[in-house]
Amino acid sequence: MKTVSRVNSLGLDAVTALRTTRRKHRVEEMEWFEALYRVYLAAIVIGGAILFLSGLVKDTPLSTAELSVVAQRGPHVLGVVIAVALFIGIRSGNNGGPLAVEEAEVRHLLLAPVPHSLVLRRPAIQRLRSTAFSGAAAGAIAGQLASRRLPGSFAAWAFYGAVFGLCAGLIVVGGALLSHGLRFNKLLSSLVVSALVAWQVAMAVQHTSFPGPFDAFGSMALWPLHQEAIDLVAVIVTIVICASGIFTVGNLSLEALSRRSSLVSQLRFAVTLQDLRTVVLLRRQLSQEQMRKTPWLTLKRVAKTPPIPRRGFQSLLKFPARRIVRMELLIAVAAMCQVWAYRGTTPAVIVSGLCLFVFGLEIIEPLSQEVDKPDRTDAIPIERGELMLRHLIVPTLFLLPFTALGVLVAYLFEPDAITLAVALIVGLPAIGAGTAGAIINAVKGAPDPLGQTNERMFMPPEVAGMTTMTRAVWPPIVAILGSLPILAVRTGVHHGDNAVGAALRTAIGVVLLLAFVGAWVRHRDAARQWWKTFVDGGKQSAFGQPGK
Amino acid sequence: MSRHPQPPHRRNEETSAPTSSKKKRAQEPVVQLPPAALEAHNVAKDYGDAPALHPLTLRIEHGQRVALLGHNGSGKTTLMRIASGLLDASSGKVTLSGHAPQSLEARAFTSYLADTPTFYDDLSLWEHLEFIARLHGVEEWDQLAADLLDHLGLYERADELPNRFSRGLRQKAAIAIAFIRPFELLLVDEPFVGLDASGKEALLALFDQAAADGATLVVATHELSFVNKVERIIALRDGAVIHDGPQGETNVDALVRADATASE
Repeated sequence: MKTVSRVNSLGLDAVTALRTTRRKHRVEEMEWFEALYRVYLAAIVIGGAILFLSGLVKDTPLSTAELSVVAQRGPHVLGVVIAVALFIGIRSGNNGGPLAVEEAEVRHLLLAPVPHSLVLRRPAIQRLRSTAFSGAAAGAIAGQLASRRLPGSFAAWAFYGAVFGLCAGLIVVGGALLSHGLRFNKLLSSLVVSALVAWQVAMAVQHTSFPGPFDAFGSMALWPLHQEAIDLVAVIVTIVICASGIFTVGNLSLEALSRRSSLVSQLRFAVTLQDLRTVVLLRRQLSQEQMRKTPWLTLKRVAKTPPIPRRGFQSLLKFPARRIVRMELLIAVAAMCQVWAYRGTTPAVIVSGLCLFVFGLEIIEPLSQEVDKPDRTDAIPIERGELMLRHLIVPTLFLLPFTALGVLVAYLFEPDAITLAVALIVGLPAIGAGTAGAIINAVKGAPDPLGQTNERMFMPPEVAGMTTMTRAVWPPIVAILGSLPILAVRTGVHHGDNAVGAALRTAIGVVLLLAFVGAWVRHRDAARQWWKTFVDGGKQSAFGQPGK
Repeated sequence: MSRHPQPPHRRNEETSAPTSSKKKRAQEPVVQLPPAALEAHNVAKDYGDAPALHPLTLRIEHGQRVALLGHNGSGKTTLMRIASGLLDASSGKVTLSGHAPQSLEARAFTSYLADTPTFYDDLSLWEHLEFIARLHGVEEWDQLAADLLDHLGLYERADELPNRFSRGLRQKAAIAIAFIRPFELLLVDEPFVGLDASGKEALLALFDQAAADGATLVVATHELSFVNKVERIIALRDGAVIHDGPQGETNVDALVRADATASE
């Protein structure tokens, strides 16, 4: 009879030896030039973002009255950031996060008789460290920007901003570790943390002195204005959450770790390629979001129903409840942002556009499926542009109930009969533009029938980089353009114009944009073919050689 | 010239089957084992509204060789992964020699050879074997590793990265990794897929050796050369057991053919 291996220090020595060997391999294989180039690119992007934000914040110091508002409401508003961080952390833990170790690590190391806590503690601490660093950096930048308008030294604002950001980062990862390690009940924990977020948001929105659950964190970020020892509770709570998370790390589920191992590497790759649609898809897979086995409504078998719209209904009617709720939330947030933009917060249109863009990525599922299976698409005897356009019929129909929800949310915030008309006129094109942005994103992700993707490989890096950047940025820009008419309505009302008239005039522009996107989807291949022929003809006449 | 120890016949010694790990581990302490090597009580698994395994109860005694049959989607891999600790059962309980699948004892007791070989990107096959053997406290691992690789025809590729191997070589590398460590229960999922004739022969010899050493083997396969050797056959269909009986009393051909038809 064979004997089981003893659980002894030999196994732990092997883990240490493995990690040393792998670190050595990594250092040997590292492309230093490439790493430095990435740092250089990151520095440019971050520097550009800081400059942009600095422009938004401006330099005018706040008046005494404004300072009093900041001191009173600041802790509530900043507390919302921490509430959302905890929400994200708990949800991540419920879905098997936050760690993503290699599949080989799960199969070989975590199935070996070595305590899981010893194996997983290191990646958990690394994760905490990296998130805390990112949070602290973001917090310090925000603090530095705040110092331009608020009294107090630059260093003090940057320092307390960094502490606040660090706490937010640690709470995301610590909360996820704790939720996963203690195997919180998904529904109950989601409800509790949602209630906490709602409480904090209510305190931030209402002009009240009633405390929110995360006020101590926000108050700590404002220490250059006033210091209260009680705010140190925030630091203590953060430490307790993180320490508890690390303590329970040995209890993480192997099933979740195994599932995430492959998906997270794909997700990182998709993020590297700025492929937002794939990111959304992989996020759904990470949280094990599956289509329903039975549709919400069963379609009758009617022979005359065109197959492509029927396939669209079959897809959308199998969306799981959580996906529908998420889409409704996105619409609700977008509607709230439109209201805030109308009231004067101009940057809210960007948030609105981005929410509708993500919503669009969800609703164009039939088209996404077609794009992801190009071999099937090419086997169908319908022109690709025509096929894609037909796939948009059903998602367009489904926009109507979501628009109604958006109108209702807008009405709740601005309870006036005129709101209903303006929201409908502005809302439908806005949701359409969000979806159009998503459509561009999906269609541009389809394989190039003219093989120009290969040509791009031979472009100089600067040109290829610019092309990739344009490809990534253009779809959200279209989505944001669709959210702009509310600004025209606001300006029109300020000048005494009729709100409905102003809404109609600007909405027409967005409708024209949507028509252009539809035409682009339909005739994209033909236009590209024409362009290729034109360029090839030019090459031929210049060099006497046919283009390849 | 390899830097690793030479297999016996390469040292001009008598050619032999791979050295049994039994002798190497003879000095290690024997653990008192409860009766069943693998025991499942009402184990079920579902993914939302899709059931993968219906409540299943079974008991596999120590030293038994069991073939697990079933068409694609019948629940074989789910059962294997629950037993190995890689999946959490939705309900019910599995014990391996009386221990929960993810406990230290169960992990020391069980070797799982999955249907998809998985390797570290940056470790050679030899480094994999060293790591796994040392994790499991095998002290004279290098000679055992050399013998195993030679037996599987991989000795010359010990310093290569297994992630770059072909499908068949990857499978052989995974087999070497599964056998480099001591075990009492071997869970194997579709091990013959991708193997050539010599690879199948080598794997069958390793199974025979493990069975002779008293290990319990649970192998999901339709390979008749193995199925005909087992003591017991369990067949699954759509997540439920449809047959459980001794090999001698089972019409193996009919079961395998039925599974093949269902898979199509």
